[in-house]
Parts: sequence; structure tokens; C-alpha cells
Amino acid sequence: MAEITFFHYIHKDTVLHRMDGRLKLICLLLLSLSASFASKLEHYLVLLFVVIFALLIAKLPIKALLKDIKFFGIIILIVIVVDAFNIPGDPIPYFPVTSISTKGLITGLRFAGRLTIIILVCAVITGTTSLMTLRNVVEWFLRPIPFVPEVRIATMISLTFTLIPVIFDNLAEMMYAQKARCVELRKNPIERINFIVFPLLSQTLRKADEIVYAMEARCYSEVRTRAVFKTNKIDWLLLAICISVFLFVIL
Amino acid sequence: MPIVETENLTHIFPDGTIAIQDISLKINKGEFVVIAGANGSGKTVFARHLNGLLKPTKGSVLIDGKPITENIIEARRKVGLVFQNPDSQIVGQTVAEDVAFGPENLNLPANQVKAVVKESLEAVGLSRFSTRSPHTLSGGEKRKLAIAGILAMKPKVIIFDEPFTGLDYPGVVQVLKQIVKLHNMGHTILLITHELEKVLAHADRLVIMHKGKLVEDGKPEDVIYHSENYGVRMPLNDGQKVATLTWLK
Amino acid sequence: MSQNQVTQMPTDTTTANLNLRITVYVALFTALIIIGGYISVPLPLGPVPIVLADLFVMVTGLFLGFKWGVTSVALYLSLGALGLPVFASGTSGLAVLFGPTGGYLFGYLLLVASVGFIASKGKQSIIKNLTALVIGNMLLYAIGVPWLKAVMNLSWAGALAAGLTPFIPGIIIKITVAAALSRAFLPRFNDSASVK
Repeated sequence: MAEITFFHYIHKDTVLHRMDGRLKLICLLLLSLSASFASKLEHYLVLLFVVIFALLIAKLPIKALLKDIKFFGIIILIVIVVDAFNIPGDPIPYFPVTSISTKGLITGLRFAGRLTIIILVCAVITGTTSLMTLRNVVEWFLRPIPFVPEVRIATMISLTFTLIPVIFDNLAEMMYAQKARCVELRKNPIERINFIVFPLLSQTLRKADEIVYAMEARCYSEVRTRAVFKTNKIDWLLLAICISVFLFVIL
Repeated sequence: MPIVETENLTHIFPDGTIAIQDISLKINKGEFVVIAGANGSGKTVFARHLNGLLKPTKGSVLIDGKPITENIIEARRKVGLVFQNPDSQIVGQTVAEDVAFGPENLNLPANQVKAVVKESLEAVGLSRFSTRSPHTLSGGEKRKLAIAGILAMKPKVIIFDEPFTGLDYPGVVQVLKQIVKLHNMGHTILLITHELEKVLAHADRLVIMHKGKLVEDGKPEDVIYHSENYGVRMPLNDGQKVATLTWLK
Repeated sequence: MSQNQVTQMPTDTTTANLNLRITVYVALFTALIIIGGYISVPLPLGPVPIVLADLFVMVTGLFLGFKWGVTSVALYLSLGALGLPVFASGTSGLAVLFGPTGGYLFGYLLLVASVGFIASKGKQSIIKNLTALVIGNMLLYAIGVPWLKAVMNLSWAGALAAGLTPFIPGIIIKITVAAALSRAFLPRFNDSASVK
């Protein structure tokens, strides 16, 4: 179970991997917004071009990406079909099934296009940004907001992702041990869930104490060294591209 | 002046259990002290007082002659504690990030953090793993990562709480080598264990705890013959010397 | 290493300790919610397996109370929005958050908020916790189902058939388990943590 890849980050040395995380996050936002506002065919084409361009320079393995998208593929298909049948309009010329309307099909395809682009943009960003960078970026963006304890939130993010594999390993061992004692023969789902959740929760709560002590032993403090970001000229260029795409779509 | 000193240290849990009682101990700079005792003898509770994680019910802890309560952060820098379970000590997503946790807490400038991380990883021989996820390391490597995380704070005293638990033979050798190396570099070492056969040859002193009390304290070759009275296996066979009690060749 | 850097650090370790403890708890419960999305338990009736993410959202509300429960779920949603694969079966991103099932994800916020709010008021009792859990789940589906209907262009009958009916056995089971957990762990937890 611990083999599940929790972060799609793939360590490589490309322009996108080196890009300043702060600008990258702004690009993610701009492109996602562009996709949501896109209305004409040329909008979609430009966005698709940008995303494919990004995928190519990021050198991400296509196989992993396809696996990501597989899940969404089903949703996208359902939406296209439901829209095509349900939205009233003229039937498609020369098409045998008359209950499908042109307008419905276009609405469905539009939704599909939007979703696909957002998913791909997200895949590029998470594939090229380490969790650590992401956390530092979040902390940086939260800094100017009053009453938001940005360092504390950054610590929460780190801890959450450090704990996941540890808890998962624990859980896997526990479930194997139960299988070794034929837990499958129990059909009552409440019992089954209890066997998982009770030990999981009690172990996890006990872990909290240890973690607090271990962090204090290393002088945990919320006044701490801040991350250093480096911005290259290429980063600004990439941001400029994303801004132009955004302007092109909304204007 | 002893580097670590405790006076009548007593800790009573809220439910009335006496965890440790009247422990007075002086540890000198550069010493290698092994603290042994059966499970529940209070070893871990004692260790957690030495850098102020637990506050005594009675008694005091002095670091370099100053009460620990005067500057607890300073005390934690000087006295590093390597926990028994490395999984609860590791907080970073990568090996380098985890080592940086301590110096970042001390709010050192970023370039200094980087330098000290590099130095600490080199000291334990984990430099080539710096971008790896700590979770993917072996048991011995995880323990060494925990040590690097402590070294990055430049401690004078390092406490190891059961450093060999759950390690295979190569893992024990890896960690033991590291500990001996740190001692040779001038660190004061306190090592908590009940597995005397793995490490006692390197110690200057053996302290035995039993039911929360300090019951024996002296040269290993004098104290070791009493260990079985207190639930710690006496590892010597007839005629065997303490100097043979190590897993290093 | 220069000494002057050390002077700006907090020396008051008692409040720091409590804050750190809460930070750790929030991270732990967020991790549990994420892990819950990966655990599925088969049901003897019907094709839909039970996923435990929402069970842990309920548990988070019961244990951490209103403020920190909401923090934990908000953290969970933000991590997903940033593209980290934390939602059920490893999905993520704005596309999921605003997709057909997005209503349930935002509903988690209402669930944790109402459970946390009701359960931490007054004395601990199993009846009060059960009430909190039932109300929380009603709110969750009151957002989730209409959202599903709107995004997928379904009829009301279709939305209920896809988004509520198959889950009812699971909901009942999870409420029972959450209440049992709170009974087993909460008294000790509240003694040691004093989080709320």
C-alpha cells in the first residue's frame, strides 16, 4: 500500500522544474482561469497549444499522465453524453440519432475541453514542483495576509505529508496481520471498519506525543529561516506568456 | 565542571506513578556513558529531562553549570537527543530538508543553513541521499539521518535513546561506528540501551537504573557483574573482558 | 554559527508547547482524512464500497472541535486544490473541486464545522455526538446532491439515485463507528490535549 505515489513530482532538471515556484503558481491560476472563461474554439486551441508545449519542455512521462487522466475520462464522457441528449436544440445534420442536439454536443465538448486543460495544467505544475517548494510558495503567499499564521500552516503541510507514508505503513501491516487471521470471513461492515479504525486512531494519537517531543528537542520555533526563491529571465517570460493567454481569452 | 549535572531529579506523573526518583549524576566533558536498565526503569524519562522536554517534579538539571530553565533553547542546542523511533523524529520531505529543520528553527540565515546541512550529511555519510525521501531509507540510514539532524544544531552532548532497536547487523554496525566517531571527535555521549554486548567496550562509564532510581555507577568492568540484579543481561562469559563487548571488528 | 541569531527566538515554551501540539494534531487528522480516501471497505449490499474519508472528517470534528476541525478540512481542500493527489483514489485539482463531486468536498467543511460546533458544546454525551453527526451528514448531502444535479444536468430523481441512495447504508455505518470512536477515545484525548 505504501507504494502508492502520493506526489506526482518527478525530479528532473528542466526549465519548468527550475522555475520560481511563486510564478509557477500564478501561471497555474491564470491558465485555470483562462480555461474556465474560454468560449471560442480558438481559445481552446491556444490553451491546448500552451499546455502541450509545457508538457514537452517538462519532459514528464506520458504514461503516468494518462493514468491520471483515465479517471477524469469517464466523467468527461458522461458529461458529453448527458449534455448531448438533454440540452434541446436542432439535431445534428446527416446524423442518424436525432435526439442528440448540435447545441448539446457542443456544450458537452466545451465542458470536456475545459476540464482536460485544467487537469493537464495541474499535472504539469505538480509534476515539476516538489512538495517542499509548494509549501514554501504557500507560505510566501500567505505572509502578507494578516492573522494568518503562515509558518504554522507550512509546518502543518510538511507534517501531513511526512505522516502519510508512516501511517500508511502502519495501516498496511495491521491489515495484513488481520488478513493472516482471516478477517475476510467477517461480513459485518461495522466490525470490519472498527477493526481498521480503532487501532489506527489509537496508534496515531500516541504518535502525536512523540512527534511533539522530537520537534521540541530540535528547538521547533515559528520564527525560522525563510525560504530563498530565485527568479530567472525565462521565468518572467513564461509568466508573460500565461498573462497574454489570459488576456486573449477574456478580451 | 561537569557538562551535564542533575541534582535529586524526580519526576512523578499526574497519575501518581514515580518515573524517576532522586537521580544525581555528573557527566564530564568527553565522557562516553552507557545508561542501562530494564524496560520501565525510567531511562527515557531521565533522558528527556536533560534537554528540558520534561520538567522535573523536584530537583534540577544543570548544563555547563547553568540551570536548564535559564535558557531552554540554548540547552536544547547543546544537548541533542536522538529518539528511539526515527519515524517520529523525521519531519522533512527530503533528507536535506529534514536536517535543515533544526537550524531553520534557530533562524539561521539560509546560506548558513545550507552549509551546516551539507556538513552534517557528510559527517554521517548520507550526502548522496540528500534529495531522497527519508521514508525510503533503510533502518540504519534513518537512524543516521536522525543523528545528522541533531549534528546540524552543533551539540556538545548527544543522547542516544535505544539506538539499536529494530536494526539488523549491518545497521547496528553502521550506527555504532557513527557513535564512536562522534565520541572521537570530542562529543560527550550518553547512550541508553539494554544491549550491553553491542557497545560497552567503548564506554568509560556504566550507569544502571532500576525502578526509577540510579542504582549503580562506575567503571564498566566493576559495575557489569551486578547488572543481572536489575534486569539487564550480563553479557560476559567466564574470563571474557569488557573490551570484547562491541559489534565493531 | 553566530550566537546573535538565537536571541529572537521565543523562550516561553509552555504556550509554544500547546500550539505545537495543536499543529501536530491538525496535521495528523488531515493525514487521516487523506488516507481515508484510499481505504475502501466492501459492503455486503450494493455495488458501492465505503470510502473512509468522510468518516475521518466526522472524527476530526469530534476530536478537534470547530476551529481546528475546520482548519484541518480547509487544509485538506487547499492541498487538493494545489494539485496534490489527496482526494478519493488519488485525484486532485480544481477540476475535481469544481467537478460533479465537488459539492461533497465543500460539504466536508460544513460537516466538520457542524459536528465540531455541536459536539464541543457542553458536556460529552453519546446522544449529543450522534445528533451532531446526523445533522452534519444532512448538510453534507444537502450541498452534494444539488451540486451534482447542477454540474451533470441531471433530474432530481437521477441526482438522488446517483448521489444519495447508494450511500445511505454507508452513512449509517460511518455515523455508528464515529460515535463509537468518540466514546472510546474522546475522554482520554480531551484530558491530554485540551485542544478546544
